[in-house]
Amino acid sequence: MSNLFGLVLNGLSLGAIYALIALGFVMIFKATHVLNFAHGSVLLLGAYVVGVTNDALGFWPALLLGIVVAALAAVVIDVVIMRRVRAADLGTLAILTLGVDVLMVTELTRRLGTATLTTGAPWGTSTVDVLGSSIPLSRVIAALVTAVVVGVLWALFQFTNWGIAMRAAAADGGTAELMGIRLNRVAASAWGVAGALAAVAGIFLTSFPSPGISPTVGLVALAAIPAWVLGGFDSFPGAVVGGLIIGVVTTLSAGYQGDLTFLGRDLAQVTPYAVMLLVLLIRPSGLFGTKEVARV
Amino acid sequence: MRGGGPVAEARGATGSSAATAGTRDALLEVTDLHVSYAGSVQALRGVSLWVPDGGIVAVLGNNGAGKSTLLRAISGTLGREGGAIDGGSIHVGGEPIGRRGASDVVRRGVLQVPEGRRVFAALTVEENLRAGGTAARDAAARDRARGEVYDLFPILRERRRQRAGLLSGGEQQMLAIGRALMGSPRLLLLDEPSLGLAPLIVEQIGEVITEINRQGTSVVLVEQNAAMALRVADHAFVLEVGQISLQGPAAELARTDEVRDRYLGVGAEAAPATDVPAAGATATDVPPTGATATGAPSADAGAARPAGAAVHDLVVEGLTVRFGGITALTDVSFTVAPGSLHALIGPNGAGKSTCLNVLSGVYAATEGAARYGGRDLTRLPRHQIAALGISRTFQNMALSSTETVLDNLLVARHRHMRTGFFSAALRLPGARREAAAQEATVVRTAELLGLGGVLHQLVSELPYGDRKRVELARALCAEPGLLLLDEPVAGMNFNESVAMEEAIGTVQRELGISIVLVEHDMRFVMGLADRVTVLDFGRRIADGTPAEVQADPDVLRAYLGTEQEEER
Repeated sequence: MSNLFGLVLNGLSLGAIYALIALGFVMIFKATHVLNFAHGSVLLLGAYVVGVTNDALGFWPALLLGIVVAALAAVVIDVVIMRRVRAADLGTLAILTLGVDVLMVTELTRRLGTATLTTGAPWGTSTVDVLGSSIPLSRVIAALVTAVVVGVLWALFQFTNWGIAMRAAAADGGTAELMGIRLNRVAASAWGVAGALAAVAGIFLTSFPSPGISPTVGLVALAAIPAWVLGGFDSFPGAVVGGLIIGVVTTLSAGYQGDLTFLGRDLAQVTPYAVMLLVLLIRPSGLFGTKEVARV
Repeated sequence: MRGGGPVAEARGATGSSAATAGTRDALLEVTDLHVSYAGSVQALRGVSLWVPDGGIVAVLGNNGAGKSTLLRAISGTLGREGGAIDGGSIHVGGEPIGRRGASDVVRRGVLQVPEGRRVFAALTVEENLRAGGTAARDAAARDRARGEVYDLFPILRERRRQRAGLLSGGEQQMLAIGRALMGSPRLLLLDEPSLGLAPLIVEQIGEVITEINRQGTSVVLVEQNAAMALRVADHAFVLEVGQISLQGPAAELARTDEVRDRYLGVGAEAAPATDVPAAGATATDVPPTGATATGAPSADAGAARPAGAAVHDLVVEGLTVRFGGITALTDVSFTVAPGSLHALIGPNGAGKSTCLNVLSGVYAATEGAARYGGRDLTRLPRHQIAALGISRTFQNMALSSTETVLDNLLVARHRHMRTGFFSAALRLPGARREAAAQEATVVRTAELLGLGGVLHQLVSELPYGDRKRVELARALCAEPGLLLLDEPVAGMNFNESVAMEEAIGTVQRELGISIVLVEHDMRFVMGLADRVTVLDFGRRIADGTPAEVQADPDVLRAYLGTEQEEER
């Protein structure tokens, strides 16, 4: 029983990291209608920058640098590549991001080599006891950071001009443009924020209990895609709830796979997608997604 | 305004030296503008017009004449639709803006209120206004603008925390105008502000425009409601197939025969359809056209048509619809006799569209029933309602804009097609025969509505009025016994709505079907309807023949307004 409780707690904290990544997916999709498959490599880039600079700079400055570099990288992808093909269809744009992803991951893999970098985060490998279950400190912090990020994002969207412009542009770009909202700026800022979120998630994804910064981290980030999809492509609350669900499902299926050997090994790799499909069967536009149906 | 020649000598010239050639001091000056779409379709061919500082200029014209294109060119949003300026220039306050981006045009003080309002439905009223104010200089300017907007539209202040999508059509239009005013424009471009609004609200919108202008904003008013536009404007231009065909002071223009016949419809009773173009002509021509095409398999389709769906009584009894706490319809009852045309009228937000939505299964009824051919429509899923032979059109249109007109229409034939997946994929002879027959039926219906020439165009390329016709054609292609029409002539000017009236009349006579019609155009409703039900705040306030309803004091108060006072 305590095992279950511990797994759920662990799952929620893992889910918090997925939520950060999924929020970035949603943000980019809402602002520019791009399914951004380069998100994982932006995340990896952020973590990589922290990994190579934290010795020289110390962790916190390195973290800041990593966030800035990832945000800039995302903005560059948008401004240099995506902006020119804004009107292209969804598939074309998604394939473009796949290309960017391949390029970035290849280069980062070459640089990383076989060495495994660590982030040098101050929380190290410590764990905390929560009601008898031990949870890595990094995960606890990840959950808190996610909570803060979600709160800040909500406030930004609700109260700032940037947020209003963003929501207006996402709702109806043509009309937003007529109101003088600069769509290109809105788009670039969305990519930037998403890149920053990815870098933050990257730090937590590469902290204990994970071994460190390796090229596969970019792939791990793709685990946030089911979270994004089942939450409903364009919903921020959906990204958070979806992230938490996928986190819990992943840790539970990993934790109980000993009892489920008839389903094969490494069940946790599959269950997020199974859950995603299940949700989509019942709710085709995700848990919180906008229905395609227009008001008549 | 009076006396002056046909050139711009409107009252806006006050305070500025008399304009040489009428254009020097113009706030907006469009010179010899050429615009094409996708490099080929010429939409504007040498349009020149100007707006004096402080003036109101109306632009009239048929759907497809280039009015929306003109506004897009001014607001810098042509690129989004694949259009480009090929020649000519646009100056605001003496500086060229022709090729700049939309947001720069806004920062130069030119704001457009888009056609169809297009408020941000998920945002609150206040957030919509903030979105409009993003280009404002500073927070103080924005606050001042918001105060002015709330003074102009007190209803928006009342509803500022509500989502814009929950406002009625008239309120949404006010919000759309208010949103643009948040940018403190020098020049406001209004694209059909009266579209789909009740007569009383149209009056109000006209007054609002005058008031906005009085406070110092110049206005370009693109309108199908020519009577309102010419009453409000100082100067007017008539656009025909991409060129200015007429212009002059609004009052003078309103007296010319062309404008009276085609846009105001004043002389129309005497000679109906004298000058009605394409659509009207084909509408009357169609029976012979159909007959000449009878060599094709469409002949039997034509014969089968009236029998396509049985026509029954539609009996609506005690219909009540609630959404959460809001009651959209309260105990509404009416009966539509087979083969008759029944109109539902009433102010925006009265529940007319809700009523159609219940009849077509989009919304669920909370109480009451709608019986048609022994079945209760409120208990059936949508596809079964369609299978009973009930089809509809939508107020805001629900077409696949990336498909051709033909394909959009063929979708409606689904219920009549037998070809299965495999025989269609393998193009078996039977499948091909059926495809040809279906296509012939669709083409005939399209021609009936004057759409024969645009069958292979994408829906997104068509002007608003044509898309409305495609919607009607699609509904007819399903061969319904009962047709539900939601504002079929919204966005059409006088001669186009006459053509539509004839087409609908022809359809009803030839096919003997029942039609339930929601519409604000009273001339249209009163000319066509056998019976009228009037709704207000979700309740039935009158029911009877057009003449009875028109004389009903409740209806006059709630909807029609007393006879339009001619003050201006």
